[in-house]
Amino acid sequence: MMKLFQKLGRMPIGLTIPAFAILLVVFGIPIVLLFLASINAPAFSATNYLGFFAQTANVRVLFQTIEVSVVATSICLIVGYPTAYLIVAASKSVRITLIALVIIPYLTSGLARTYAWIVILGDRGVINNLLLQLGVIHSPLQLIYNTMAVYIGMVHIMLPVMILPLVSAMMGIDRSLTAAARSMGARPLTAFWRVFFPLSLPGVRAGSLLVFVFCLGFYITPAALGGLRDAMLSTFIAAQVKNSFDISRIATSAFILLAIAVAVLFLLGLDLASAQGRTATTAWKSWVVRISKLDMLKRYFSRFSDSYRAKLWTTQLYQAGDDSRLSNIVGTMFVLLVMVYLHSPGLIVIIMSFSSGTFLEFPPSSISLQWYQTFFGDPSWRGAAWTSIQIGVAVAILSTIVGTLAAYGLNRTHPRLRSFLTMTILTPVTIPVIVVAIASYYGLVNLGLIGSRTGIVLAQSTGATGIVVVIVSATLANFDRTLERAAKSMRAGPLQTFWRVTLPLIRPGVIGGAVFAFLHSFDEVVITNLVSGYSIRTLPLKMWENIRNQIDPTIAAVSSLLMLVPVLWLIILYLTWWRSRLRDHRSRPELET
Amino acid sequence: MRSWINRRRFMQATSSAIAVGALSSIVRPASAQSPGELRVTVGGGDVGKATIEAFVKPFEAETGIKVTPITDDSNVTAIELMVKSGNVTLDVCAVGQGTALTLDRKGLLEKIDYSIYKKEELDGLYDFAKKPFGVSWPVYSYNMVYNTESFPAGKPRPKTWAEFWDVKKFPGVRTLVSGEGGSEGPWEEALLADGVPADKLYPLDIDRVFRSLDKIKPHIRKWWSSGSEIQQMLADKAIDVGQSYDGRALLLVDQGAPIEINRNQAKLQWDFFVIPKGGPNVQNAQKFVEFISRADRQAAFLKTFVVGPTNRNAVKLISDEIARKLPTYPDYMQSSVLMNSEWYNDVGSDGLTNTERLIQRWNEWILQ
Repeated sequence: MMKLFQKLGRMPIGLTIPAFAILLVVFGIPIVLLFLASINAPAFSATNYLGFFAQTANVRVLFQTIEVSVVATSICLIVGYPTAYLIVAASKSVRITLIALVIIPYLTSGLARTYAWIVILGDRGVINNLLLQLGVIHSPLQLIYNTMAVYIGMVHIMLPVMILPLVSAMMGIDRSLTAAARSMGARPLTAFWRVFFPLSLPGVRAGSLLVFVFCLGFYITPAALGGLRDAMLSTFIAAQVKNSFDISRIATSAFILLAIAVAVLFLLGLDLASAQGRTATTAWKSWVVRISKLDMLKRYFSRFSDSYRAKLWTTQLYQAGDDSRLSNIVGTMFVLLVMVYLHSPGLIVIIMSFSSGTFLEFPPSSISLQWYQTFFGDPSWRGAAWTSIQIGVAVAILSTIVGTLAAYGLNRTHPRLRSFLTMTILTPVTIPVIVVAIASYYGLVNLGLIGSRTGIVLAQSTGATGIVVVIVSATLANFDRTLERAAKSMRAGPLQTFWRVTLPLIRPGVIGGAVFAFLHSFDEVVITNLVSGYSIRTLPLKMWENIRNQIDPTIAAVSSLLMLVPVLWLIILYLTWWRSRLRDHRSRPELET
Repeated sequence: MRSWINRRRFMQATSSAIAVGALSSIVRPASAQSPGELRVTVGGGDVGKATIEAFVKPFEAETGIKVTPITDDSNVTAIELMVKSGNVTLDVCAVGQGTALTLDRKGLLEKIDYSIYKKEELDGLYDFAKKPFGVSWPVYSYNMVYNTESFPAGKPRPKTWAEFWDVKKFPGVRTLVSGEGGSEGPWEEALLADGVPADKLYPLDIDRVFRSLDKIKPHIRKWWSSGSEIQQMLADKAIDVGQSYDGRALLLVDQGAPIEINRNQAKLQWDFFVIPKGGPNVQNAQKFVEFISRADRQAAFLKTFVVGPTNRNAVKLISDEIARKLPTYPDYMQSSVLMNSEWYNDVGSDGLTNTERLIQRWNEWILQ
């Protein structure tokens, strides 16, 4: 028995066991039962599915959901890729600041942000007021309640989800490869297109996959910012859940959405199998190829350097200087624009939080701190915040550990099996969250964990683990396996190798995964609402209750406080840096003497 | 490199401190409920606060039964999962009329024991408020509301839904409630606008509803889907005339916003207090529901938060000033429409309720 376990542990696929164990118990078994309900087991018939497609509205909204998700993902990629590139290219301190700036908007309550967009785009909103006052227009532009506004709102929420995996994948790319290509006469664009871009593809795939899958489940933002036509399949499902709770019909819609997600992902070639590219054998091959390529590079390089070196370098340096100055300006402008887009809603939320009125208003008629006092003075708000932090940290720890292990194991299994297992791990993110909630409820009832924190942590971890797997996998795709081999050849055990070699190298991905896992938990309403059994109140539940009943500026105050968290983290980080630098300065003269 | 180490140490130190707290707290078992103690959903916000003050605290004082108020709403899904899994964690729930009827149709609710009610209280309750599956509380309404800056009291303004539909005579930015939920939608208003008399509305002619909605469709700036949404639109003065819950509009009027409520052709709706089947404290739950039906308790509630009482006698205990704000004020009730939720829950030959039929039609209609 022990031997079997050890053997299993040594096989890479064994590392995915913890992730799948949680998934199976909390979510997997009930979701299979739901699937059986959708096909009317044990009689087995397709009536529910035929019934779904018999309604033209369902088919139309299905296509509309896919279209909206594809367009939103494309916009995120077009905006996110250059942003991530520029973030990675920046100096270390600027990079950390920019990453924090990308994360901050993600911490603002989605609902508060959506309202901020209404303030900005509304008929009597900031933009229209400004244009009217400047005399550019005479009647308000219809900026809101249309598909454009839906995209503005959705991209705003999803852009960080696109940028962070891109950044973590790009950080793993060896810049000397592009430099080598340039030195051989490749134009900057060619060097980027032929060398850098292919290496960044795992990040592109991971980011697109996450964004696309999340977009499929959107409905609050389209409902608030869109027009009558801008419905999503989840809008329809939510109405079904609210009214009748006909489980077989709800399950049918959910599995159709899941099937569409899988089909589209394969169609677009977004499955993680190709994302990770190399299997154990091909990894070796590609490494050999890469080495020989590098050899060739070296040979070319040395040939150039023989006679033309001096001349070539002076001209190149001169050109590069000119080029980079222009591209620096363009790049800075671009990043600035993206940051303005990402932060203007948050800024409006912060300003509104100081309002003295009882409603969200912009600009506030007068200033007060009363809504912060409400938050800190009310034990139910404080208690909910503390509960949420504890649950969020527990979810982050659990899902980062099992997710990283699973990603590591998946990276080493057969590609076909891998793509299947990855899709399975991603199911809780792909299908509508209300169905996940219902399945998790059944799963936790069996464990007797309804209304317990453990239950909430387990239920939220199923989704969070999927996110961690995607982000860590993207980082692992560029990971150089020979380094592990080298460590093992020097008698490091597998655990030691992982701890001392692999983990430090994939750290950006692991940290990114942990951050997202925490945020996933910290923003979760639907699952928590159901499995909390009305006995545990988290901050998002409290915020959700508040926003449905009375939109007072407490919600803006809470969001502003949440935005402070990464800023504080940044300040502490700088302080530790600054201290260590001081120490460095002090120690240097000693070395010199 | 050194900065990395420092940062790592820092991260390790802080994260492990939080982690220990987090992990030690999650192993704590679910909050244990002592026998007889009630768990009741009371709704959020000011409604929740008023419910606790007017109902929960006096109930505890009178009966000695401890009540844990949960400031949240429950729904069909949550209650059905609880009852069917034999894990009933709520003893009394406040739900909408549609939800209550659906739960009743599925056999998920206890029958109300009216034998413990005093005769005068029972007589005071409106007929629609004392159903076998629950006791109604409170009454609210859907009204036409004006932005008085666009439609001041002295000038002509739409008074009926037919006039609301007349966009030439009364131009202005309009809003109506979205019909995506089926049980809530501008259905009755569409028929009133098309000339159907108020007492001939039910059964609703669904085809005629959508023919009428076709006419107003291009002129609706936004179809709102939650109370906070319409409240915010009114507060932002984003619309000139529209449909709103009376409570949301009243809140703004009391704060001095330029808003006026038109009580003519209002649509009345009401929520229910129900008892999920198979709970551990059904007897005490019956007592709590009975407590809510009392006129003096309802009057106490109205003094802190204005909603329509379901016990007629409650009005005798409050000032006329407050009474005039109620959707159940006799003058208003004469020109109002009572929503017939039984029709919404009727199941047709195809196995669909009328609510589901409305949802299907709505989904097709919005994508046309």
